[in-house]
Amino acid sequence: MARFVTVAKADSIQPGQMVKVEIDNLPVAVANVGGTFHAFDDTCTHEDCSLAEGELARTVVTCPCHFAEFDIRTGAVLAPPATVPLKVYPVRVEGNDLQVEF
Amino acid sequence: MPQTIAIVGASLTGASAAATLREDGFDGRVVLLGAEPQLPYDRPPLSKAYLRGGMPFEKTLLRPPEFYRERSIETRLGTRVVGVDPEKRTLELQGGERLEFDSVLIATGGRNRRFPIPGLDLPGVYDLRTVADADRIRDAIARGGRAVVVGMGFIGAEVAASMRQCGLEVTAIEPFKTPLYRALGEEIGRVVEGLHRDHGVELVLGDAVSAFEGAGRVERVVTRGGRHVECDLAVFGLGIEPATELVAGTSVRTDNGIVVDEYCRTNVPGIFAAGDVANHYHPVCARQMRVEHWQNGVKQGAAAARSMLGRAQPYDEVHWFWSDQYDANIQYAGFHAAWDAVVVRGSLPTRKFMAFYMAEGRVESVVAINQGRDLRRALPIIKARVAVDPARLEDPNVDLRTLAPAEKPG
Repeated sequence: MARFVTVAKADSIQPGQMVKVEIDNLPVAVANVGGTFHAFDDTCTHEDCSLAEGELARTVVTCPCHFAEFDIRTGAVLAPPATVPLKVYPVRVEGNDLQVEF
Repeated sequence: MPQTIAIVGASLTGASAAATLREDGFDGRVVLLGAEPQLPYDRPPLSKAYLRGGMPFEKTLLRPPEFYRERSIETRLGTRVVGVDPEKRTLELQGGERLEFDSVLIATGGRNRRFPIPGLDLPGVYDLRTVADADRIRDAIARGGRAVVVGMGFIGAEVAASMRQCGLEVTAIEPFKTPLYRALGEEIGRVVEGLHRDHGVELVLGDAVSAFEGAGRVERVVTRGGRHVECDLAVFGLGIEPATELVAGTSVRTDNGIVVDEYCRTNVPGIFAAGDVANHYHPVCARQMRVEHWQNGVKQGAAAARSMLGRAQPYDEVHWFWSDQYDANIQYAGFHAAWDAVVVRGSLPTRKFMAFYMAEGRVESVVAINQGRDLRRALPIIKARVAVDPARLEDPNVDLRTLAPAEKPG
């Protein structure tokens, strides 16, 4: 059943920054876009690469390995070689706890 | 506005062009013709995940079958186009059928270069271009044993890595001093040499194959230097040549490919070319060039489609490609040319670095191993073509995004 899991302190992730966390052994990336947090699968849907090690430009993440791009709000593919959308997760901030619904 | 657009070549470039025509609202007829029987598929996995057996063919399809149906893109697969008549604007298909077009995009790609080496046609000697080629090599890999890779360019190096990962003994023979020597030079080539040696590839450098030998099937590879390397299979990767035969004998100009301007236009109205086959004028470098990169296939295919619809923008992408070998993600961006200095940012021994190829103070091209984010940040520096302080390039504390001048508006 889905539940909210605390993954980080909200003030530890600066605007424009992404971090990789693990929930149930699954790598999840959390990004701060101008104070709004987004969470998504850290592993690119194309091949096994960490998106948190890629580039974040507003709400677009670019995979560092092959430059596939995703909209981190919806998971939509914006540029190949990825063809499968990225899974995204609801996020909330409780106090200073950043929580991902998982 | 054209009524019928034909695209010859149903691979990455042709599929990108077809999709772009529909995205941009073209509602005429689109016919995508491919010599291979499969729907457009992605070739990079053929030397990597697909070759190792870890990926079903369906996962290599660029788009699902319904994509073409839903957009009324007519696919004519297993159909070789044998001629084009620029005056009558017709294609001649194998078997004699004729197809009229208003505009045609030639995206026929390339074919593997073959050299007159004795025994090259022996069973057990393979080359890799298509999924059918990959299937044959996969079957040979499954039988195990000893493999020889001839030519350590990008395809050879990837095949060598994949075969090691499948547990084969691999010997690689390369005429230059290092793998990837022509692209990367000696200093960085040595890093790639170390990568392969660390993974157990036996490298024979500075030597070339003189013959493949065997009784009815390859059993050994003989080099000019006098080596005899026993093997169960051999794969050669000696580069490609552009597949221009479709326009041979027509007024369409060829010179190392089909010559096009920055709008993918040939010298003949209504005939366009893109992808590996296109020797294109690049406005950033102000010269003609032909590349064999995945990204160029996607982007130039799209650019050609817009040009055919009269919405041309100059095609001025910074060329870019990747190569995955073992745990190394190698990326290269820029315009290959003679360089006078190599500036390294990061650590060569740990294989986590970027190397900038400089000419007269400018960055002409960049290679990165496991540094994809920084490579992406370097693209504007390459495009700007202005002198950059090498001390700042090599300083890992300098954000590369601060080193390119702001792009001019418009």
